[in-house]
Amino acid sequence: MELLPLLDQLFPEGHQVSVTDWLVSGEAVLGGAPVAVLGTTNHVFIGIREAVTLSGKLLETVAQHPKRPIIMLVDNNGQRMALDEELLVLPEYIAHLLRAQQFARLQGHPLIAIVYGNSIAGGFIAFGMGADRIVSLPGAETSVMKLEAISRVTKMPLEKLQALAEKVSVFAPGCKNFFKMGGLHDIWTEDFSGQLQRLLQSTDTRDIRAALGRERGGREAASAVIDDVLHA
Amino acid sequence: MKLSRRISYLEASARQRIAALLDPDSFREILPPTLQRISPHLGMFDAPVAFDDGAVIGEGLLCGKPVFLFAQEGKFRGGSLGEVHAAKITGLLLRAAERKPAAVLGLFDSGGVRLEEANAGEIGSTEIMRAIFAAQRAGVPVIGLIGGSCGCFGGSSIISSCCDALIASEEGRLSVSGPEVIETIMGVEAFDSRDRSLVWRTTGGKNRFLFGKVSKLVDDHIPAFREAATALIAPSIPLTAELLQAERQHLSKRIEQFSECTDARQIWAKMGLDANRVPEMSAEELSTAASSLVH
Repeated sequence: MELLPLLDQLFPEGHQVSVTDWLVSGEAVLGGAPVAVLGTTNHVFIGIREAVTLSGKLLETVAQHPKRPIIMLVDNNGQRMALDEELLVLPEYIAHLLRAQQFARLQGHPLIAIVYGNSIAGGFIAFGMGADRIVSLPGAETSVMKLEAISRVTKMPLEKLQALAEKVSVFAPGCKNFFKMGGLHDIWTEDFSGQLQRLLQSTDTRDIRAALGRERGGREAASAVIDDVLHA
Repeated sequence: MKLSRRISYLEASARQRIAALLDPDSFREILPPTLQRISPHLGMFDAPVAFDDGAVIGEGLLCGKPVFLFAQEGKFRGGSLGEVHAAKITGLLLRAAERKPAAVLGLFDSGGVRLEEANAGEIGSTEIMRAIFAAQRAGVPVIGLIGGSCGCFGGSSIISSCCDALIASEEGRLSVSGPEVIETIMGVEAFDSRDRSLVWRTTGGKNRFLFGKVSKLVDDHIPAFREAATALIAPSIPLTAELLQAERQHLSKRIEQFSECTDARQIWAKMGLDANRVPEMSAEELSTAASSLVH
């Protein structure tokens, strides 16, 4: 879904959001109350510079607007894949961005991730999957690796993977599959602003994704294993 | 000079590492292989399964202190994060948040998310991260050890970077995209993954130590990992605005100082080290050289 119409649909009461070539940042009004808006666009790759820019915005929001909900608009093509970024320890930058999200959560900011574009692998981990609630919109694409690349790495024939992908959610790209695994709390198809307001009223900070994966039949082992370890 | 037989961390299996790391006979495994918690998905791909799904978890003693421990088995499907593998680690960390051992030790040896279970592995990776934060919030430090033959890549690299402290050997490689993946997708001129010294300079423990991400650099010797882990046990430091601002400034400064560098040797020279000698230095020698640098 396109960013600008999305902003109008999510925040019909008004928004002041600036958009650069990749960064989306500002504030909006929702149900009469202010919310912070922070996101990415143009399928940016999340690298070291993107990570410190996003963490800076998060820390600014925590400092200036205590407990204000943070609406994360997610669109990326994954982590930036380059020797010079790995040279400077890219995983440390992504972990720092996740720690900033955790800090915001502990300070009482609800974190809602809305996937409106692509969301891939380390990019989705860095900005999206760390939220309290994660939803997708029409046209969104989530994946870890394309089937062609999985075929190259695992040496399994592409035709076999394509056939399996039709019926097996555990590895195949797509929001429907992520939803079934509990990786998306919801898939919205209409009334985005109303849905966002209702979600903000009901959200909490518990990680319920393993339970969702069990309920939906996509990831039945995880929550049973976690329970068994807790009670062993 | 004290001579002792080297016990290689790199070559050991997950269970051998645990046995040599913890106090003798103190380890109690949770969900051991006898319970056969296997991957429910690998069968569809006609792939072999393991009764522990490549993750060993449990409780034991480190120099008398109660610790929880998880260890990835690199010899099973590259230590990859599958649904059960990840859930065992998440469960252990949540258990630590409740029961508050002195520390959780994470023995990383993993190429990242298991592609046959890509969605479950990726979601599971982020559940582990949330569980690390839960343990840390309870004051329990999570200490990562990196020195296995599979390194620490993909989802595992980000998980380990969320830890309170990392211990690594030079052989312990840490990066998000592995050299082979970068080469496959961006081309051999972007990263020649067969150039072993390039791979170690870029992703190896020495480079990660010199940037400060690895707290303690050790030689490839399990007792050295044990000593370092024991010394690093301290309550997890709570997240504050000041702490995160300082972290952010440190990381921003690194970009300003070193983003022009295209090879680790340029970085080391800029730091004031004899770049050509770094690869041949022992962990102790490099640690001494690093402590005298003015950043």
